[in-house]
Amino acid sequence: MKNILNFLIETGKLKGKERRGWVMHGIKNSETTAEHIFYLTILAWVIGKTKKLNIERVLKLALVHDLCEVYSPDFTPYDPLLPKDKKKAAEVLKKWPKLTNALRIKKDKKKNELEEKAMKKLISNLPIELRSEIKNIWLDFSKGLSKEARFVRQADKAVNFLQGIEYWKKHGKIQHKLWNRWIKEIIDDPALIDLIKAIEKKFY
Amino acid sequence: MEEEKRYYITKEGLVKIKKEYEDLKKVKLLKTKGDVPRVLQSEDLNAEYLSFQEDMGFLDSKITELEYILKNMEIIKTPHKDKQGFIGLGATVFVDVGGQSDEFTIIGTLEANPALGKISNESPVGRALLGHKVGELVSVSSPVETIYKIKKIKYHIG
Repeated sequence: MKNILNFLIETGKLKGKERRGWVMHGIKNSETTAEHIFYLTILAWVIGKTKKLNIERVLKLALVHDLCEVYSPDFTPYDPLLPKDKKKAAEVLKKWPKLTNALRIKKDKKKNELEEKAMKKLISNLPIELRSEIKNIWLDFSKGLSKEARFVRQADKAVNFLQGIEYWKKHGKIQHKLWNRWIKEIIDDPALIDLIKAIEKKFY
Repeated sequence: MEEEKRYYITKEGLVKIKKEYEDLKKVKLLKTKGDVPRVLQSEDLNAEYLSFQEDMGFLDSKITELEYILKNMEIIKTPHKDKQGFIGLGATVFVDVGGQSDEFTIIGTLEANPALGKISNESPVGRALLGHKVGELVSVSSPVETIYKIKKIKYHIG
């Protein structure tokens, strides 16, 4: 039980970890990783119910998907382009993060390596069955192996879009036109496309 | 499983899917025999697929899903020369959008990976671009209109 408790305490740190993307956009008291996981889990459940999916798997995928961020950085699409100078960084955020294919592959590889290392560290002392279950669910999510994982990966983007649009309406600091373009390139699930349309109808 | 769904995949993607299917069937067979340690040590199986071995129900549903995909798939082929001026599946498209240049390959949903520049033909942007040619402006609109100016189309899928 001691090792499970330690895992819980470590995981609980996500309650205080503000998501970098929002901080970079100057959003004060922004959403934490734990809040993002909560929002995604609810979304994946209620939208996932409308599809023929294994909902238990969907919920676990949503709960596990960002646990690695206890130890790994919270990556954003802008990372390889961001200068240290805050003013220059603000300029970069006004445009679409244009990356070459080579840079995309490099960024993806680095992200996967760091997240895998972090995940191993987080679950290393858990009982073997639990450790194996969490590792496999996370692997499923990161590689998109099952239809449930492919759905949750897209739901993750949809909930990010929803949060971004909410911040745009409240603070005006989000480049909502860029977000609109981004979401329409990356989502193809019909139920999530319907959700995006509903978000647009409500907020525009 | 949605009925009548077609899956468009590359030749390379088909090889991967067939391998995954064969691997999972092997995992199921060995698991049924209670030979889990051998499954875990096997070097000829892709380690990723072993993640399914712990839950028999989930393993079965994954095998069924792959069977459905193999039954309903269509290989993406390079179009005939006189049609290569139009955007189709497998095309790499170079565009100008919002004053910035960008490129992506349009591919089926199973192989789409926007983080690596591969977007799905079923996404709103993928869907809108299909059938257009160089020089055309494609509008993807909702409350916010985004215009894609098509600069170049390239096919490199065999």
